[in-house]
Amino acid sequence: MSRPSRKSDIAVTVLGGYLGAGKTTLVNHILRSADERIVVLVNDFGSVSIDEDLIVAKENDRITLANGCICCSLVDGLASALEQVRELDPAPTRLVIEASGVADPASIAAYAHGRGIELDGVITMADAETIRARTKDVYVGDTVLRQIASADLLVINKVDLVDPDTLTALRSWLSSLTGGRPMIDAVQGKVPLDVLLGIEAEPHRDDTRLNVDTAFVASDHHTANEVFVPWHMTTDEAFDREALLSLLGSWPSDVVRVKGIVRTSGSRGEPDIRMVVHRVGLRVTTQDDGPWRGGPSQLAVIGLRGPSDPSSWEAQVRATIVNRPVSRPGFRSPTEPTL
Amino acid sequence: MAETVIYPARRIITMNRATPLAEAVAVREGRVLAVGTLAELESWGPSRIDGCFADKVLLPGFIEAHSHVMAGGAWSFPYVGFFDRRDPNGRVWKGCASIDEVLDRLIEVESSMEDPNELLVAWGLDPIYFSGERLLARHLDRVSTSRRMFVYHANGHLGTVNTAMLAASEITSKSTSPGVARDANGEPNGELQESAMGLARAAFEKLIIGWSSPEAKWRFAYEARNAGHTLITDLGSTRLADPGQAEAWSEVVSDPTYPARVVVAVGTGLGGPVDPPSMADLAVRLRAESTDKLHFGIVKLVLDGSIQGYTARVSWPHYYRPPEGHHGNGLWLIAPDQLNDMVLEFHRAGLTIHAHCNGDQATEVFVNAVEAALESHPRWDHRHTVQHCQMTTPAQYRRMAALGMCANIFSNHIFYWGDQHRDRSIGPERAAKMDACATALREGVSFSIHSDAPVTPMGHLHTMWCAVNRLTSTGHVLGPGECISVMDALHAATIGAAFQLKLDHVMGSIEVGKFADFAVLDDDPLSVDPVVLKDIPVWGTMVGGVPFKAGVAPT
Repeated sequence: MSRPSRKSDIAVTVLGGYLGAGKTTLVNHILRSADERIVVLVNDFGSVSIDEDLIVAKENDRITLANGCICCSLVDGLASALEQVRELDPAPTRLVIEASGVADPASIAAYAHGRGIELDGVITMADAETIRARTKDVYVGDTVLRQIASADLLVINKVDLVDPDTLTALRSWLSSLTGGRPMIDAVQGKVPLDVLLGIEAEPHRDDTRLNVDTAFVASDHHTANEVFVPWHMTTDEAFDREALLSLLGSWPSDVVRVKGIVRTSGSRGEPDIRMVVHRVGLRVTTQDDGPWRGGPSQLAVIGLRGPSDPSSWEAQVRATIVNRPVSRPGFRSPTEPTL
Repeated sequence: MAETVIYPARRIITMNRATPLAEAVAVREGRVLAVGTLAELESWGPSRIDGCFADKVLLPGFIEAHSHVMAGGAWSFPYVGFFDRRDPNGRVWKGCASIDEVLDRLIEVESSMEDPNELLVAWGLDPIYFSGERLLARHLDRVSTSRRMFVYHANGHLGTVNTAMLAASEITSKSTSPGVARDANGEPNGELQESAMGLARAAFEKLIIGWSSPEAKWRFAYEARNAGHTLITDLGSTRLADPGQAEAWSEVVSDPTYPARVVVAVGTGLGGPVDPPSMADLAVRLRAESTDKLHFGIVKLVLDGSIQGYTARVSWPHYYRPPEGHHGNGLWLIAPDQLNDMVLEFHRAGLTIHAHCNGDQATEVFVNAVEAALESHPRWDHRHTVQHCQMTTPAQYRRMAALGMCANIFSNHIFYWGDQHRDRSIGPERAAKMDACATALREGVSFSIHSDAPVTPMGHLHTMWCAVNRLTSTGHVLGPGECISVMDALHAATIGAAFQLKLDHVMGSIEVGKFADFAVLDDDPLSVDPVVLKDIPVWGTMVGGVPFKAGVAPT
């Protein structure tokens, strides 16, 4: 069926972590491997290394790549860079802001709201070899601790450089600092884009089709599917909003990411609502996107292989479906936006 | 042959020990030909005596080694500060002592504006003197509910906007930026803190245009002239790397009627990202284009925030009574590990580095970086300078002396924020030790004092008065152990400042061969009661032998 197209907000990921944690390596990976239009704002423009043959344009503080990605310098400040991103045409699907090595990413994230952009989450990178010593450094220890505490997802990078016992101890110590938020191991900063930046609608298709893609190889010795469990469900029925949100909020930290575009039942005769829901780390955010416009509800989840149990997810999610006769298909509210 | 003009004066304080006091100075080709007795000067041959300074006291032109061109740019906008302030044209703007007085001034300005779409931007607001009352959107709405308004606070960290500006900037109860202050109902109250000011983008654009215009550069020099300054510094406020910036400075300053010499630093501004090698290249290239009047080639770095904003990096036990929810210490604007590389880059390029360090931990990290750079790349006479240097400890001063570093001490803080530092930010003991001119002197660190204009008004009579008396705005003496003599303060304001800018061979004292740059005062700083030092009237300046009278409106 045809439906009105609606410009959705640009999802913003703030990438934090102290110097040497691997932010720049990760940024280079994102730019090279993206198959959608991602804008990356970087602090140190000189450190972005992209093969010349992938670059289609290079200005003073902006590189445009053949895959549509753009890398901009933050030299004029965050506010100005965000304005430039808002004015891009066509708009990017996602925006990554690389925080400086001494910035508190949460303070940057606080600006990633409104007027066409919306925060997805804060990813903090930690160098497995040095993070413990850094937190004790007399000059930067407090800064590094703040960066860890600000993370929705913590990427422990360079895990190949520490022995397994050290890594286990490190995880348990970090967990006490992150309040149990998810931690992901990485080598050379390689983490699937969907884990880092959120699950996005398949860019070239109908945006109601969520596509879970963890193919971005997690490390040289593990493929993504050895590390992550992708899961996806659809249903024509409507959810009880509160019950669904309460369930998603209760899931443990091995559920790394959730993205849903779901029909939630309207209260007392009101039309059903199209709700977009995200979970990054332990944080659930929602956005009501007008009346339900038809089609199936979808929920996509990425968990860590091992603790995660997709078979239990399905039953739990289905238990939050509203028990009622399916409302008239194709119902359209008179107030439905016709943009 | 060029004319020789002899200026007899009531007294000449030369800041040159060989001839500390003199009765006249002879000027030829814009330089000091000789200073001494009238008979000594006349022995140089034919000359003309100009008696215009016969009842004045001449000193070496004051040198402001830490100010910003915004000091001139701010006057593109109406002033609503607490203290009386003289604008570059010499008009004294009466201080606004209450919110009602602020509003009265704004109503007057508003009623004279013709275009209803034009923003009203004002500056200098200092609500800490309003006994706890804050200026909020609801107050500004009494001035206008339709015209967008933005009032920039004196401390540079806050702005207050009216409801029309909130609406136009889409700042609502849903805004999540941390700097958007709210009322009890969660609605924005109009106060925008720190980078939340950027949300009022239109106002900021107007401010930036005002700050960087040619008029700003002219007013900057008029403000200097009115305070007896002959050299002023734009310490990294603008992006000198932008095309046309250096040329814009050159065009204005080279005008013979421009009444000051200027040093413009290549800077990181407020800590934005930089590429040290290209910054170093730029500074070296521009240095070669320096003239007698316009000097390039110094580098400015910003390491931390401000003490009163609780963003300076302060060593253990950190802040005294920080606000609720404060993290405990301030913010690094450059990572200490990165600083080492940056300092080495500029140091190797032969440049002098001026690093903003408000907190003592910032000083320590900068001193560490200089020490490391010197170890790997020994270099004599670098004169790297700790700017602000507000909490630098005696031990740090001893290291600075050993490493050949200079200090530029923000003495005006004692008056403007001293009470707040003692009662809130760092507590009585450390407040008594802050801006430690006596320690710098004792430990052998060459130092200057500064205003950081427009953060505080430019004027060495005031910065010296602070260093000498250490009186806060409520009249308390903050740490009498750090008071210095008037002579030492004069040294800091003249030859001390010239030294750290590497210009002491051509200015900073009245001495044969140096530029004929004088501060022309109505009274003698060495004779008046030191407590009225700041009140000595300034006649104006002489720059390169050309007199510039204070308070004369630009034509």
